[in-house]
Amino acid sequence: MDRSDQARLDAEVRYLHDAFFSRPLAAEVVDRYIRAVRHCGLDEDRTAEKIVRSRLDAEAVEFALRLRGRGVALTRKIRILFYLVEVRSDYYADFVNETPLFGRALWRLAASLARTAWKLVKGSWLVWRHGFG
Amino acid sequence: MAEALFDAIVVGSGPAGTFAARELAGRKVLVLDVGYRAPEGPPLAGSLYALRRERRDLFAELIGDGFEGLHNLHRDPVSLKLKSPRTSYVLRGWQALSPLVSTNFQAMMSFAQGGLANAWGAGVYRFNSEELRQFPLPAGELEPYYDELTAHIGVSGGNDDLVEFFGRDPSLQPPMRLSLLAAGILQRYQAARKRFRMRGITLGLPRLAVLTEPHNGRTPYAYDNLEFFQPYNPAIYNPVFTLDPLIASGALELARGWLVTHFRESAGVVEVYARHVETGAQETFRARNLLLGAGTLSTTRIVLASWRDEQARLPVLENPMACIPLFRLSRIGAALDVNDSSLAQLNVVYRDPESGELLQGSLYGTTGPLRSDVLFGFPLTARAALEWSKYLSPAMTLLMMFYPGRREPDNYIRLQGNALLVNYQWRGTGGPERALLRAFRRIGFHGLAALCQYPAAGSSLHYGCTLPMRAAPARYETGADGRLADTANVYVCDGACFSALPAKNLTFTIMANAMRIARGLRRKME
Ligand SMILES: Cc1cc2nc3c(=O)[nH]c(=O)nc-3n(C[C@H](O)[C@H](O)[C@H](O)COP(=O)(O)OP(=O)(O)OC[C@H]3O[C@@H](n4cnc5c(N)ncnc54)[C@H](O)[C@@H]3O)c2cc1C
Repeated sequence: MDRSDQARLDAEVRYLHDAFFSRPLAAEVVDRYIRAVRHCGLDEDRTAEKIVRSRLDAEAVEFALRLRGRGVALTRKIRILFYLVEVRSDYYADFVNETPLFGRALWRLAASLARTAWKLVKGSWLVWRHGFG
Repeated sequence: MAEALFDAIVVGSGPAGTFAARELAGRKVLVLDVGYRAPEGPPLAGSLYALRRERRDLFAELIGDGFEGLHNLHRDPVSLKLKSPRTSYVLRGWQALSPLVSTNFQAMMSFAQGGLANAWGAGVYRFNSEELRQFPLPAGELEPYYDELTAHIGVSGGNDDLVEFFGRDPSLQPPMRLSLLAAGILQRYQAARKRFRMRGITLGLPRLAVLTEPHNGRTPYAYDNLEFFQPYNPAIYNPVFTLDPLIASGALELARGWLVTHFRESAGVVEVYARHVETGAQETFRARNLLLGAGTLSTTRIVLASWRDEQARLPVLENPMACIPLFRLSRIGAALDVNDSSLAQLNVVYRDPESGELLQGSLYGTTGPLRSDVLFGFPLTARAALEWSKYLSPAMTLLMMFYPGRREPDNYIRLQGNALLVNYQWRGTGGPERALLRAFRRIGFHGLAALCQYPAAGSSLHYGCTLPMRAAPARYETGADGRLADTANVYVCDGACFSALPAKNLTFTIMANAMRIARGLRRKME
């Protein structure tokens, strides 16, 4: 992998991480992401690069593409990122609920449904506007 | 070793091969196996969730430096239990060693010592007379073997409503502790028992080859949730626990690294041809008797290859599956029960009034795999799915139902060149799933038919009936003694010789039947 590919994937993982998690990204996750993307044969895909270059909403674009049965590589890259952070204690609370929060949980679930609907509209527009194949 | 003439050669060291070999211990017996083992390394100490909270980084242990944990992102999906860095040896190399071609059958094979049982859920159930109806065996024939096995491997569970299907067993260890969700289900079932039973649904405790008390030098289950990541848990029975001491004591010989390709019989001797998986060396081993316990699919390949038959289409059966998520709404947002286990919590038996078939399933918690394994199955954005999985997991249980294998004329297995070719079609009506959903809804556990998933055929990993036992066996069938028709001294002792494939997990019966066949052979030798 040449330097420009390395830099592209480096920028990509930082951008994707910021779209989903609000904390600093460890250097070892960046390194593992780059190796994992290569390992899974996803380094040629340019969807994420386009998202980064145009500073688009990665969550919205991924979801809109996923619902259309497209953007498989982008979804896989985001999944790789999720796997890599899930095995770190800093992110434990993002994945595992430790304190009972019935009311708040219901509210969060409802809010995330609304979020999904909104992201679908936004993502569909972005997909059309930026011509994601 | 190649010059020696053995009394018997056993192919495979999974549940079938191990228990056949154990019966023959003390005679001159060679176990031939590819026999991969788990990578060496210090075991994970502690429980999964404590480790995840306390250890800064578990990449090496849960994902792996070779990215084993990402397997399902870029290759044919495998059971989540078989893709962690320390468990991926279970499926190591199988596609190269035993190519299988199919568009509708997602098979998996193991070439590890201990076979697929390195990763099994350890559900052990006796086939009853209804389930053995098509087997050419006298009633009660397997019972002494089941009893011996229970004493040897240790089985925990209870004698409850399911005794009707599982039989009463006074020698069980106490059952495993139930998760909060499973305990709730059992309690509500007991209150609504009559209504469930009227609808053909029976619930109870599973029978598991998982220790809750010390047994034969093994320690009880520690509720550490590490089944997806840690092999050779002493509490969960693995055939290596039986075979290793027999090899160490010299009662049996084991040759690892050998892939058996075919056999030939001449003048009372069976020649067994094998290729070394590392060096490629070819070798011929000789014995008076051959026992094939390489797992149904691999045993079938060896038989077809031995007869160089690319025409024969043999029957093949598996247990189609339905996966039904159920939710206890009042537990949404509860703290995850991290002391739950990913082993079966409860069993469900359902008699389908339409087909008359008995279905059997298990209820599982969701604490075993990583959330990232399941997140993107939700029709939600990635971030929303993260919230849903976090708050719904404590409220969710998965009911995994097995259907009995049905014999269909168009479902077959055959040899094509070097590959096994399988065609397998199965279509369920969804009726049992709807009936179960209705019953569980009445006791406060909700689900939707639309959320039921039907894993691809072959995913059950319960394969059988390719060389079925018959009272009067024809070619490609076996006798009640396990001997393959048209051979003098070749025996089949794994699921391939099953005469039928009920919905009940098959491995306990594979072990019992392998013992029975090998004991019969031993008597004959003596
Ligand atoms: C995740 C999972 C959960 C499961 N849960 C349950 C459960 O709860 N209850 C249950 O009853 N069953 C369960 N099973 C299924 C169970 O593991 C299998 O039914 C059982 O292992 C089959 O035993 P076997 O000895 O016939 O074959 P295998 O276990 O497949 O063993 C085959 C052996 O033969 C060797 N071999 C194969 N081909 C060759 C060859 N050509 N030359 C030399 N050696 C060869 C292999 O190396 C291996 O040692 C589960 C399986 C999995 C993977």
